[in-house]
Parts: sequence; structure tokens; C-alpha cells
Amino acid sequence: MTATAERPATTIFRRPRSKTGIWSWITTVDHKRIGIMYGYAAFAFFIIGGLEAILLRVQLSQANAEFLTAGAYNALFTMHGTTMIFLFVMPASAAFMNYLLPLLVGARDVAFPRLNALSWWVFFFGAIFLYSTFFFGTSLPPIGPDAIPGNLPDGGGPGSFNWISGSPDGGWFGYQPNAGPFYSPGTAMDYWAGGLQILGLSSLISAVNFIVTTFNMRAKGMRLMRLPVFAWMTTVTAFLLLFSLPIIAVALFMVTIDRQFGSLFFAATAGGDPILWQHLFWLFGHPEVYILILPAMGIVSEVFPVFSRKPLFGYSAVVFAGAAIAFLGFGVWAHHMFASGITPVAQAAFGLATMTIAIPTGIKIFNWLGTMWGGRLRFTTPMLFAIGFIAMFTIGGLSGVTHSIVPSDWQQTDTYYIVAHFHYVIFGGAVFGLFAGLYYWFPKYSGRMLDEKLGKWHFWLQFIGFNLTFAPMHWLGLQGMVRRTWKYAPEMGLEGWNQAVTAGAVIIAISILIFMWNWARSRRRGRVAGMDPWDARTIEWMTPNPTPEHNFSEPLEITKLDHFWHLKYDEDEEGRPRRREDADAMLEHLEDVGNNPREPIHLPSSSFFPFLVGLGVPIIFYGIIYHTSIAGKALIVGGILLILASCVGWGIEPVDEPHYGDHDEEHGEEPVAEEGELVDD
Amino acid sequence: MSAEHQHPTPSQYWKIAGILAVITAIEVALFYIDRELELGALNAWMLIALSAMKFVMVIGWFMHLRYEKGLVSRFFAAGFGLAIGVYAIVLAALGVIVIRGG
Amino acid sequence: MTDVAHVEPVHEEHESTGVPTLKLGMWIFLSSEFLFFGALISNYLLYSNRAGFEGLYPAEIYDIPFTSVSSFVLLMSSLTMVLAHNALSRGDQHGTRTWLFATAALGAVFLGGQVFEFTEFIVNYGMKLTSNPAASAFYVLTGFHGIHVAIGVFLLLSLWGISHRRGGLSEKSGLNVEMVGLYWHFVDIIWIVIFTVVYLISLPPA
Repeated sequence: MTATAERPATTIFRRPRSKTGIWSWITTVDHKRIGIMYGYAAFAFFIIGGLEAILLRVQLSQANAEFLTAGAYNALFTMHGTTMIFLFVMPASAAFMNYLLPLLVGARDVAFPRLNALSWWVFFFGAIFLYSTFFFGTSLPPIGPDAIPGNLPDGGGPGSFNWISGSPDGGWFGYQPNAGPFYSPGTAMDYWAGGLQILGLSSLISAVNFIVTTFNMRAKGMRLMRLPVFAWMTTVTAFLLLFSLPIIAVALFMVTIDRQFGSLFFAATAGGDPILWQHLFWLFGHPEVYILILPAMGIVSEVFPVFSRKPLFGYSAVVFAGAAIAFLGFGVWAHHMFASGITPVAQAAFGLATMTIAIPTGIKIFNWLGTMWGGRLRFTTPMLFAIGFIAMFTIGGLSGVTHSIVPSDWQQTDTYYIVAHFHYVIFGGAVFGLFAGLYYWFPKYSGRMLDEKLGKWHFWLQFIGFNLTFAPMHWLGLQGMVRRTWKYAPEMGLEGWNQAVTAGAVIIAISILIFMWNWARSRRRGRVAGMDPWDARTIEWMTPNPTPEHNFSEPLEITKLDHFWHLKYDEDEEGRPRRREDADAMLEHLEDVGNNPREPIHLPSSSFFPFLVGLGVPIIFYGIIYHTSIAGKALIVGGILLILASCVGWGIEPVDEPHYGDHDEEHGEEPVAEEGELVDD
Repeated sequence: MSAEHQHPTPSQYWKIAGILAVITAIEVALFYIDRELELGALNAWMLIALSAMKFVMVIGWFMHLRYEKGLVSRFFAAGFGLAIGVYAIVLAALGVIVIRGG
Repeated sequence: MTDVAHVEPVHEEHESTGVPTLKLGMWIFLSSEFLFFGALISNYLLYSNRAGFEGLYPAEIYDIPFTSVSSFVLLMSSLTMVLAHNALSRGDQHGTRTWLFATAALGAVFLGGQVFEFTEFIVNYGMKLTSNPAASAFYVLTGFHGIHVAIGVFLLLSLWGISHRRGGLSEKSGLNVEMVGLYWHFVDIIWIVIFTVVYLISLPPA
């Protein structure tokens, strides 16, 4: 082949080769490194969103408190919700998916490694874009006679928090026309709409990548019904993202065009229909709820069998229930709109559809309980978090069913009962599940174990703090405490429980500090994990800890569900698991081969271009916000040119060593040119 | 790509394009006929049926979906079906599509 | 197929479904585009015949003969696209180049028609993006479709540029011509729907 000789001559591009240092992280296409970056970024935003929540709770700990102005309060609850959903739970789930999906299906990397890096960089720059609103954004008083004094961050008061004044304040749901150009004339809501748009783009790219990875990159013998449940839930989540993000993309474009270019989609005075926004938003927003919870369900479905020493009870039922939840999730959006004036027929239909979601959810819960039933339970920290997940999620699920009864929902709409409900499912559910995953898979990342004693302190404090925070919100809500309102009168008698709630929030904060201490310490000085520290069942544990860059050294051939377990165990006469005699030798062999592959393994080459394309996206959105000025127009043009140029570079950059196979041969949606061009056919 | 050889030949592609052109001409003709005769809903349904034929022909032959594995068709149909379903419900809820009770 | 050596996967993990990975990704991406355009079309249907807006409704000023011609142009660009792919699969580099360029040119003609139509509506009739929600919906729907066509033209011209290299487009690029083709046909079927639903069926309020 003349190609190899020609290659350096025909191109000015060289693939970056750093293996360490900042450039190696900027140019990496390794799914594990990308997952780690997602994880740390998500955790940073968890802290930021948590601090926002603490400020809200300080304000609410007393009746008629003057700690925050109404405007600052609006800004903080908007950013708290937006941060926790789009910048914490979604990227934290993405961290697990990135790190684990290729390992779970038995692949070298995801289907499109560079697109995967692109997802991450688009997310990263999108998050920076969204938070740059604090520096560049403005929220101005509403235009016209509807101005409400004190409704803005800079309205004075001892805790006016002027630095918040650039923050979006229209709620994470951005209801129209409140978040439109008339009532929110500053640029803050443009930052919100643009930021969500960019984050959505990132997730859409990931979704395509993960679906293709699951379907096309499986190891030999890894049939779909042998996939670990987390891989299944990743795929189901990816489908939810795939089909729901285009909807919110259109809705956000409509908002941006309304605000920036004067279209009239949601301008009620000109005949526009604000209810359309609600439909489009919740058409995305309800699947989004399952996007948050399904990965956590996948995680606990991995944790329960390991710590019960039993196979997952009803594997196929768990998988199909996950898919059913996703499917039904597209048919229930209007239950967020029972108080918005939809017809009785629609209310009845959506109420019924909502109730049916309880069926697949119940199937899952009973399957997890069935997995534990009669098992040899080990109450390790991941197991505790997983059990906490079931208990808390069930409470949240049951209060959710009460919303599906329309008259009951009218009573509960916009009260703290709703706040209690969704924190039980998202914090009690998703976040507990994510922590279970962190404790469970920490050895894969670091090669060490998180400290169990600190872990149990973390769990119990978080569990107690969580319930102290969110359980009283049920009764506060039923007593009539309304959401999104910065004050309540002392004679309402709400102060006592509110103080309990604030105390609970502080306890959660302490538990998180313990976790951070545990993490920082264990990463360097934790107990060395060795191979298979949990006596696990799935094939990601067939690689050494920490996972080597190339994942698996030898081709796999999957023969069963829980393949790894069956390599270690067979059954005695009574059907009980009996460790094979050669199990330890096999583990030793796996560790040795895993760290010292017998033949050279070619990995996807690093690339600068995902970083550059990702950088171009927010530049365009800055330009749109300031499009009336020359600088804004220049930013739009510059951003587009940067993206186009980077795409061309992406297309024609060469592969390092063409002799070995390389996943990176596959490219994304910009098949401008391929390495193949450089080869004379 | 074992299925490659089954793909249509250029002359077949030209024929398909010819059919597509004829359907488009019929559609435009229907638009003007409707102005005279005021067919109303019948006209709308005929136009939808004709454009559905074009839609299916382009997907099936030009995009070669007929020759792909069933999995691809299922993914593609899922997106299409979901879009039709949810937006029909949205339009019904907003009163654009009116369901007449019997 | 001299480059088999480095196209061959390490493991057998590639293409568990038998569908090429890039092609599977493209189909999955396109399936999500239905939801994107569905939202825009629904938006137009919501406003296109809602009574009581100020100013003109798009359906009052459509130039059906003109739009029919530009629709025909886009439809025929799908023909030239498959002919390009077909020529490449037969190893006919010259034909591939010609048909790729013809496709891009037809796409550009369609875009030119759209620019003309928008100018006509805005300058001669005074129907702007800001006139009423129906006009907003019309411009945003057809505008986003136009952006998709423009991206397609960019991709086609890139392929056309590459095809002039020594050796022309390779087998692997054959897959890429197919990818761009899938995208291009998709943009075409969306226009088939828009032409019928938005131009031919939609009526201004009585």
C-alpha cells in the first residue's frame, strides 16, 4: 500500500499524540476520559445548584424574611432547577453512560469516538454559555404597566444579591409570555434559551452515538437480551433524548426568534398562543423526567443482583418495563397542564394515561424486591443507596399518581406538594441511584475503593437530611404554601416545618461534604481494589481496575446473561452457586492480559476538532443575542466559519496507523472527506 | 453489501422520477380544480394521498429503504409515527383538528 | 478495495446488526428530524387559518405556479442524487462528479427560488416575520427547511471538490455519497410534505 508512505506528505494535519497533560484531555476521544470529565463537571454544578438551593432555604426559613428580594429569589429558583436538571443529573448520567456503555457491550469505544468528544465539548461550552449570563446577561423590568415593584433582582433590600441580576428568572420551564420579550426584556432569558439549545444539541449527538453503539458494537455473542440492564436503560434513554430534544429545539428556537427577531408565536396580544409553548415544552419535559430516572434505574438494576448474589429477578420484564415507561412517557405530557385550560376529554385521557405509567414502574420495583428476596444480602454503601432509591422513588411515584387525578391535581398545582413529589423522584430516585453507581464503579475509575465507613455516614446523613427536607413539603403544600413565591405570612403557620426543611437541607450539605472528603482521600489512599472487588456479574469487571485505555485485551465471546458470573460460578446439586476451581486463576489471567495486552491494540486517534467545533457553537449564540450590533454579526459569521473550517479539518485529518483496525474510521454527520480519500484505490 | 446488486438501474430511477413528476402535476392540477369545484375535504384527502405516494416512493427507492434491514425501517417508522401521533394530539388539544362526535 | 486492511475491525464487535455503523447513525438521526419538522409544521397549521390576525396570511399570497416549479426542481435533485450514487457504485467517476454537481446546482436553484419568494412576500406584499403569527410560522418553517437544503448543498459541493482528487472518490467515500444522499432525500421528503400541506391544502380563514 502506497497509502502509508504518502500519508504524511499529503496532509498538513497530524493527529495529536499527547497521552498526559492538559492537551491529552482536550484532544481525547477515549470514552472513559470523556465520562470522567462529564462526571466532574456534573458534580461541580451539583455543588453550585445546591448552594443556590441553600440560599432559597435561608430565605424561606422565616416568614416574611428579607434575606432575598423577590427578584433574586426568582433568579435562584430558575437557575437551581435549570442547573440540577441540565447541568447535573443529565451529564452525571452521561458520565456513567460514556464510561460504561462500551465496557458493558464489550467494545473498544463508542461507535463514533470523535462525535462523543464533540458531545462533551458542546455540553461544556454550553454550560459555560448558560452560566455566563451572570456576567453578561441583564434582566430588566417588564415593559409597560405590568411592572411589579420588587420583582427584580436589583430591587434593593439587605440581601439583594446584585450579582444575581443577570440571571434568568422565568423558571426552568420558561412559561410564555412571562419569559417572552415583553415581560422579560433583558438578555437573561436569551442566555437561558440559547444555553438549553446548546445542551440539547450535545445530548442529541450522544443519543445517536449511544444507540448505534448498543446496536452495532456488541461483542460476539452479546445478543440484545444478554445486555446488562444499564446498557438497556442507556439505550432507552437515548431514544427518549433522540425523539424529545428536536421538540424542545423547535420551541426554544421559537422563543429566541420571538425575543430577538420579533416573531409573534407566543405574543398573546397579537394572537399568538402561549399554550402552544406549554404543549411543546412538556412534550419534551415529560420524557425528560424519564431521561433523568431511567439511567438510575439501570444502575440499581446492576447493583441489586451483585449484592444479593442472585440474578436479576425477571430480567426481560425489567427491560421491557423500561421501554414501556419510555413509550408511555410520550403520551402523558398534558398532565402538567391540567390547570392551564385544556378540555375535559383531554384531562380524562391524560389522567388515565398517567396512571398507566404506574404499571411498568411497579413491575420494576417488584422485580428489584424480588431480586433481594431470599438473596444473601451485603449491605455495602452502593446497596444502601440502591435500597434508598427504591424506598424514596416509591414515595415519589405514589405522590405522582395523586397528580393524575385531575381534581386532586388542581388542588396541588403550584404548591410545595409538587415540589416534594419531584424531589422524591429526582433526588430520592435519580440522585440516590447515581450515588449507588459512584460507589459501585469507583474502583473501575480509580483502582481503589471508596471508604465504606465514610460511605455509610454519607448515606445515612443524606437519607435523613433528604427526608427532613422534602417530606414536610408534602404537608406544607397541602396547607397551601405556594411554589415560586419568596415570602409567606407568619399567620399561615408554616414557619415550623419550613425551619425543619432548611435544617434538612443543611444536613444534606454536610453529607455531601463527607462524600467529597471520602472521594478525595480514597482516590489516592483508598484500599486497592484489585480484580473484581464486588464479586460482580457483568463483563465490565473482566477488565483490570482502573480500566486500561484499551478496555478489553482479548476478543470476548459472550455465552450467557451475566457472562462474567458464569465464568466464575457453576451450580452444585441443589442449584446453589459454587465457585469454580479455576476462577481465581482466570481472574489473574484477566488482570495480567488486561494490563499487558499480547498484541498491539490500535485505538482511535485523538483530535482537536471536536473541541473546536464545540467552541464554535456558543459563539454563534452569543452573536444571536447581540445580533443588532456589528460585533454580534461578526460573532455569528465567525462562529459559523469556525465550525465549517473545523468540520473540513475533521473530515480530512488522517488516521495515525492505518494498519490496525480503527473505529475512528466512522465519522459523524459531516462526511466532508475521509481518510479513505488519501488512498489510491 | 449483498443487497447492492438489487438496487434499481438508472433507467428505473428515471421512471420513478417521471412518476413523481406526474404525481406533482396532478397535485397542482387538483389545486386549481378545487378552486372551481370546491371539493373541500375530499380535495385535501386526495392531495394527502398523492403526497404520501411520493413520500413512500422517495424513501423506498431513492433512499433504498426497501433494500435495508428491517431494523432501519423500524427506527425510521418510529420517528415518523411518533411525530404524527403526538402532533395530532397537540393539534386536537389546541382545537385545530376537530373531532366530530357521532 | 486495497484499503481493506485498515477498514477491517479489531474485534467482531463491528456492525452487530449488519447495517454499516455510519449508515445506522444517519437513519437514526433522520428519524429524529421528523419530530423537528413535525413541530414546525404543526406550528404553521395552528396559526395558518386562525381568524383575526392583522395583515396578510401566507395562504392569501402563495404563488402556486412558481412554488410548483421549485418543488419540481427539488424533486428532480433527488433523481440526480441517486444517479450520482449509482454512477459511483459502477466506478464511473466522471458521472459521479457530474451528477453531484447537478444535485448541488438544483439545490441552489431551489434556494434561489426561496430567496425570491421571501423577497416578493416581504417587499411587494409587506408580509414580514413580524406581521402576524401565521407569517412568523411560515417563515420559520420554510426558513429551517432552507437551512437544511443549504447544509446539503455544502455537503454536496464538498464531495464534489473531493471527487477531483487523483483517484476520485473511493469505496469508503461511496458510503459518504450514500450518507449525503440519505440526508438529501430526507430534506426532499420533508418538502413533499410542506408543499402539499402548507402550500396546496392550507387556506386562509374564510
